Amino acid sequence: MDSVSPPLLVKWEIPSPEIIQAGVILTDLDSALRQFPQMIEEYLFQTGTPEGFPKFVALHQALWKQGLFCYVPDGVRVELPLRASTQIVSGAGAVFPHTLIVVGQGAEVTLIDERYSQGNGSSDAVVSDEMVEIFLKPGANLRYVHPQQWAPSVTELFTQRVLLDRDAQFFNVMVTLGGRLTKGNVETVLSGTGCRSELLGILFGSGSQHFDFHTLQDHQAKATFSDLLYKSALKDTAKAIYTGLIRIRKEAQKSDAYQANRNLLLSQGAQADSIPILEIEADDVRCTHGVAVGPIDPEQEFYLMSRGLPSTEAQRLIVEGFFEQVFKRIPLDSLREQLMAEVTNRLSSVHPSTSSG
Amino acid sequence: MSVPLLEIKDLHVQVEGKEILKGISLRVEKGQVHALMGPNGSGKSTLSNTLMGHPKYQVTQGQILYRGENLAGLKTDARARAGIFLAFQYPTSIPGVSVANFLRTAMKARFGEAFQPKEFRKTFKAAMAELGIDEGFATRYVNDGFSGGEKKRHEILQMKLLKPELAILDETDSGLDIDALRTVAEGINHLRGPELGILLITHYQRILNYVQPEAVHVLINGQIIRSGGKDLAHELEAKGYAPYEVLKEPPKEIVSK
Repeated sequence: MDSVSPPLLVKWEIPSPEIIQAGVILTDLDSALRQFPQMIEEYLFQTGTPEGFPKFVALHQALWKQGLFCYVPDGVRVELPLRASTQIVSGAGAVFPHTLIVVGQGAEVTLIDERYSQGNGSSDAVVSDEMVEIFLKPGANLRYVHPQQWAPSVTELFTQRVLLDRDAQFFNVMVTLGGRLTKGNVETVLSGTGCRSELLGILFGSGSQHFDFHTLQDHQAKATFSDLLYKSALKDTAKAIYTGLIRIRKEAQKSDAYQANRNLLLSQGAQADSIPILEIEADDVRCTHGVAVGPIDPEQEFYLMSRGLPSTEAQRLIVEGFFEQVFKRIPLDSLREQLMAEVTNRLSSVHPSTSSG
Repeated sequence: MSVPLLEIKDLHVQVEGKEILKGISLRVEKGQVHALMGPNGSGKSTLSNTLMGHPKYQVTQGQILYRGENLAGLKTDARARAGIFLAFQYPTSIPGVSVANFLRTAMKARFGEAFQPKEFRKTFKAAMAELGIDEGFATRYVNDGFSGGEKKRHEILQMKLLKPELAILDETDSGLDIDALRTVAEGINHLRGPELGILLITHYQRILNYVQPEAVHVLINGQIIRSGGKDLAHELEAKGYAPYEVLKEPPKEIVSK
């Protein structure tokens, strides 16, 4: 594969030396394999077999290369957000990055883990088949923000599988802006009593971008909680398909599960489909789901225009407002502003052709 | 003779193929307050939406001249930037957009180069204080979860900041308790001046106890059937709209039954 792999650059940043002294590890996966082979062996591919996209997962398992390792020891609470990024540098081919995150018992951390291409205009056809595995030990608390801004020539196959132990908490923001085609699968396994998970997603598509997102909220233990909100705004002929499965097993009595998917269509050619699925085997649970697909409300646009805002400006404000509910939860002001600016930029720009041969 | 601020000539308006306004003529001069009164369904909101250029309302005949200029070719946003303001009867909510962000954007659109972002916070705070609006308002989302009174006060706040030359107040008094009505009326009176013309659209005479109009017009079934001084409002309060409504043509379908 080497001859066809475009270089992938994994970077990370630890904001203070005390964090390293506390035993936190944040490094690229290759270095981690050399330095902590037993630890990697204990966790790599141990979150269980993902249910979605088995072929892409099998390919990833066979060819995985490069990636990130993050480990927070029991009881360590990291105040400042840790940051990492995986960048495609140049060239055509396929990449298979793997991200492995382990948060120890009672430990707490925020990780902002970005994806982007250097020289965003690159037209080199790249396939990224990546996987993120996350282990949350009893009482662990992880905020994981994943902004994706791949170049328009990238095809993204993405799997994230999270295993939550007793009383663990997982807060996730997926921001998907780039790529020509994304097949994403986000599986959250609530396997310990009392664990909680909040899953937020933003998709913005323009040109002929296509998103196919699957999510699984798998409640396996008693009194578990999950709340999912995915929002997409689509212009030109962009398309989003969302398939969301909530499963509450018999053992998961007293659990709460929520799921909402909202889609804003900004042009006639844009399209969104939403498929919620519920599999409830327990009888004492609370579970709701909601779906909305529609254009910008003309009365909202009229109201803003009646205050002097041109139509494009009115639409920009409405889209920003639509995403605000999710963006305001991003725990880093500078990143939130940068992502909002990127959405605004994509909203106003005439999209270049996304065909990459 | 000077050019009137607003001159409506024989205006006919259709909504979804149905004629609602059937030949309205009206002149509002700078510095004047005109009250337009009428029962439900008389065409009051159709007139205000048409003046603001709502795409759903189609002018089929007649003209609207603003400072002598025909508005026919001007879109909603251009009308607003030219100084026309509509205070909505039912302001729509825009979740996720804060009042401060909205007003900053609107003022930038209205005043262009003359807008000074550094002054905004001060101007905005002062305007809220004058209207008795809590500062926490700034970070709330536009009209989202606002009470009836908050919505109307928010409309007046916008009017204050956007400094229109022609303000159309569409039933700004409806749904308000007496205290809120007084606050809103005080806000309107405060903004009255030689440079502002106001078209005050209302169902009830109540607000005219606080805001004294130069002229009162009665709109029934898409036509102005009477115009007069402020005494006309008192007459309407006493007798209601019923004596006028008999002038309506009876709908033919009902007659044939």
